[in-house]
Amino acid sequence: MRTKISLFDICNNLFLLLVALVCTYPFLYIFFLSISDGRSIASGDVVFFPKNPNLEAYQYILTNSNLGIFRGLLNSGIYTVVGTIVALMITYMTAYVLSRKQIKGRFVIMSLFVFTWVFEAGIIPAYIVLNKLGFVDNWLVMIIPNAINVQFLIITKTFLDGLPPELEEAAKIDGANDFQIMSRVFLAISKPILATIGVFYAVFIWNQYLMPLIYLQSPNLQTIQVMLKRLVISSGDSNTAFRTIIQNGVMLNPGNLKAAAIFVAMMPIVLVYPFVQKYFKKGILIGSVK
Amino acid sequence: MITSEMTPLPRKTWVSRFLTYMKTNRLLLLMLLPGLISLVLFKLAPLGGMIIAFQDFSAFRGVLGSPFVGLAHFQRIFEDPYIWTLVKNTVLLAFYSLLFTFPVPIIFALLLNEVRVRWIKGSVQSLSFLPYFISSAVMVSILYTLLSPSTGLVNDILARFGLDTIYFMAEPGWFRTNYVLLQVWQTFGYSAIVYIAAMAAIDPSVYESASLDGASRFQQMLHITLPSLKPTIAIMLIISVGNIFTVDLDRILLMYNQSVYETADVIQTYVYRLAFASSGFPEYSYGTAVNLLKSVVAYVLVVGTNKLSTKYSDTRLF
Repeated sequence: MRTKISLFDICNNLFLLLVALVCTYPFLYIFFLSISDGRSIASGDVVFFPKNPNLEAYQYILTNSNLGIFRGLLNSGIYTVVGTIVALMITYMTAYVLSRKQIKGRFVIMSLFVFTWVFEAGIIPAYIVLNKLGFVDNWLVMIIPNAINVQFLIITKTFLDGLPPELEEAAKIDGANDFQIMSRVFLAISKPILATIGVFYAVFIWNQYLMPLIYLQSPNLQTIQVMLKRLVISSGDSNTAFRTIIQNGVMLNPGNLKAAAIFVAMMPIVLVYPFVQKYFKKGILIGSVK
Repeated sequence: MITSEMTPLPRKTWVSRFLTYMKTNRLLLLMLLPGLISLVLFKLAPLGGMIIAFQDFSAFRGVLGSPFVGLAHFQRIFEDPYIWTLVKNTVLLAFYSLLFTFPVPIIFALLLNEVRVRWIKGSVQSLSFLPYFISSAVMVSILYTLLSPSTGLVNDILARFGLDTIYFMAEPGWFRTNYVLLQVWQTFGYSAIVYIAAMAAIDPSVYESASLDGASRFQQMLHITLPSLKPTIAIMLIISVGNIFTVDLDRILLMYNQSVYETADVIQTYVYRLAFASSGFPEYSYGTAVNLLKSVVAYVLVVGTNKLSTKYSDTRLF
């Protein structure tokens, strides 16, 4: 019935492909800059394709430890992996208990979580509390305080609320205790929801800017996002961190090096994107509330 | 013979009931402990910390030792002419964002819905929401690279047409445009997903009878697809209006500099500077007072619009 290809179809498809290209092009452009040689960049030859492709810029920014880029990547990676695991465990356990009907006051606890989500205390009171608790210049600030995201807690609890109560009753009859019921029965059927919120926690931690900016002071604790701000944005055109250099016979200019720094900061997300995008999509759908 | 059933059970006091409850649920309660600690320390304690808005807080004396000054900070807010610049900037920035980020995903979703070639549909959609997952630091860095006056691609193109160099990141007049541009780029694909899901729920037989009646694809899009999105559009609009005080703090902190404060400085960035970037003494109490006012207004807006949205749908938003 709808097999006929009309002019509308052709225009529409072309237009949408163009839209996709336009919103992807800046990423590609940065990538092209990062693998081209400095001379071609300076003469404005790199627009749609890289010129004289090489990986010298990456080698330079990753091996020059005084730039702190490698350190930043490593830190961000550690915070992301550890933070996601901790967040998943605490969020899941809390959601699980709060979805058990026998727990008294669970409605009050959930309401308090929701209230703190809608009514924001702001960054200053949070800083005063976390400072007292010793989180200033402590890498655990990237792990512990945000281990429960209220939105993800609601999503997980709603999922668990929808599971049949017979699951718990049957396991209880078999003599399992509450922890075993959660870890052996419920965890297995919660894998899709855990994958979804896990992916979102990971992206959230990797992309964090304000937290590390406020709390982490030591350069060797700093994340790649804050390093990026210092190396690429703050310095502007009068850059002192990056200079034109010649490495292994290839000329590298600040434009090259900045592009490489930008690209490594987004690379982990781009690399895992094809594999986890179905979870992204699912998360957007169930999370499109507030 | 059945006397045991006759003997009156000892009256259970609340203490013994409490103990039985604790005993039968001890594992569950233990599992709740990390969540409870997290609620108290990281969510409720900062709320309590807002009391410093009524104090002359000094980090040296702590929250309990600092003297109360009543509403002095709030009085200062209303006497400070700069506050109105901040409110104006915050609301204008959110308003312009809404003006562009609201219709674009709807149009995009409508057009994407008409695509019959599956690989085009799939890849266009995947690419469209990739920017949502890229950090603000990366997005702003890319913007800087593209808009740089000396080496940026955009000024390069302007120069080829004989036009003057524009200092995009340093001119107050460009800040809102840059901010909204980033916002649209980063969120249109993400926001479209909700509409695409709503479209999947439309009964295909409606389209079939419409095309039998001779309606073109474009007409079907305007007269069937778009009207059936009405409830979703209404809810999304209400949510967006409720969040009008929410700006992307990360993005502004990364984008702004002193030369564009007159358009870029918003309530949250001002609060940030009062506490963390002031050259003198950090003004924790005044900053918290400013933030408290903003939080109250934002809370009323979100709760109010949430109530409103329940009129449009059966599902509460939270």
